[in-house]
Amino acid sequence: MTNTPDAEPTTTYEQAREELADVVRRLEAGGLTREESLALWERGEELAKLCQHWLDRARERLAAAAPADGADQD
Amino acid sequence: MRTVARKIADWIGRLGEVWVEGQVAQLSRRGGAATVFLTLRDPAADLSVPVTCHRDVAERPGLELSEGSRVIVRARPDYYVARGSFSLRATEIRAVGLGELLARIERIRQLLAAEGLFDAVRKRPLPFAPAVVGVITGRDSAAERDVLVTARRRWPAVRFEMFNCAVQGPQAAANVIDGLRRLDANPAVEVIVIARGGGSVEDLLPFSDEGLVRAIAATRTPVVTAVGHETDTTLVDHVADVRAATPTDAAHRIVPEIGEQRRLVEGLRGRARHLLTARLEQQERWLESVRTRPVLASPDRLLHGRADDVLALRTRARRTLVHRVEGAERDLEHARARVAALSPAATLERGYAVVQRADGALVRDPAEVADGELLRVRVAGGRLPVRVDRGATSEPIALEDPA
Repeated sequence: MTNTPDAEPTTTYEQAREELADVVRRLEAGGLTREESLALWERGEELAKLCQHWLDRARERLAAAAPADGADQD
Repeated sequence: MRTVARKIADWIGRLGEVWVEGQVAQLSRRGGAATVFLTLRDPAADLSVPVTCHRDVAERPGLELSEGSRVIVRARPDYYVARGSFSLRATEIRAVGLGELLARIERIRQLLAAEGLFDAVRKRPLPFAPAVVGVITGRDSAAERDVLVTARRRWPAVRFEMFNCAVQGPQAAANVIDGLRRLDANPAVEVIVIARGGGSVEDLLPFSDEGLVRAIAATRTPVVTAVGHETDTTLVDHVADVRAATPTDAAHRIVPEIGEQRRLVEGLRGRARHLLTARLEQQERWLESVRTRPVLASPDRLLHGRADDVLALRTRARRTLVHRVEGAERDLEHARARVAALSPAATLERGYAVVQRADGALVRDPAEVADGELLRVRVAGGRLPVRVDRGATSEPIALEDPA
């Protein structure tokens, strides 16, 4: 996986979310080597941060988009 | 000259009587003159014919002759030699009755309907908020004011391209067609309104003109009609893309109401924001739940289990090893005991000896050995080399237990 720090991630929120769910499922299922589960966990952390990043961005954009309800401007 | 004129007059005079129908375009009644002059226009084609008649014909009781009225005339073609002019000499003028007018409109309606001019599929949608609206009305009419004022109030940004013209009388249909063509040719005009207030059936007649109906059908710009009161139906109403009941209603149809639109947009905006926020919150909750799952939240647990595994395995390994060492020790002890039991040492201890030849073979019979042969004797204390000497034979050694 390409790990470009701080650059705009190429993975979309949906992709990251789906992969994260898969990582957790595999970790919970067990039956992995220590190295495998560590690598999987690291990937999970990375994906969780990515998801958080997208959600934070969405919030910022929502906040920036328009004044809150009730602000009637003309 | 007079011969020719007279011959023409004779020839025209022989043509005989005809019935013609037309609209009175001009009417001149001079004071006490016995002859009334009028110009009769064809209702569809652009042509007119001068008609003369005696005052009694034009002023027959019950006949209200005026410019614009539809008439049927019984006349004889006439050539006035003194002036060289042609006219129809009317002997009878009848106004076209209301019932007849309506029947005629109905016939045109059926004809145009059969051609498909009124079909619903031909109706074009109106633009949502047109920037420029073409308006055809009578100058300073109530219809004009109703359209402009109402439309501006509803949508202040709207602009108008006006075409004022006669909206009743013989020229009205041609005027409206002209306006329609001009506005339709203007690319800025997004919709055209034809508006006129209420009036008598005769007043509204131009709006059932076949030519006008066809002209509306031919425009590329959508057309809204608002002619007369709600109960008056003219043929333009059938062909129009939208028929408004009144000029005010037309204004309602052509532009949206700004306040209503603003509320609508605000409402949609609020809903969109609400939905988006709710969705975002749901995603955030999901992410939080995933991040707090044991496998992600405390990765050391992944290793805890491993350490236990290692410990267990170590214990098992140690236990197994000890077990095996102990087994080996036991085996050794057994072997040692067996070795001890099988050893001849004890027998030797009791005083027996083992005699072996040089090659190690045990001596079991004195005949096996030669005189003078070197033998080895093993007793409990150790080895002893001996030589056979048959000459020194003495009494044989008892083979009984020496003890």
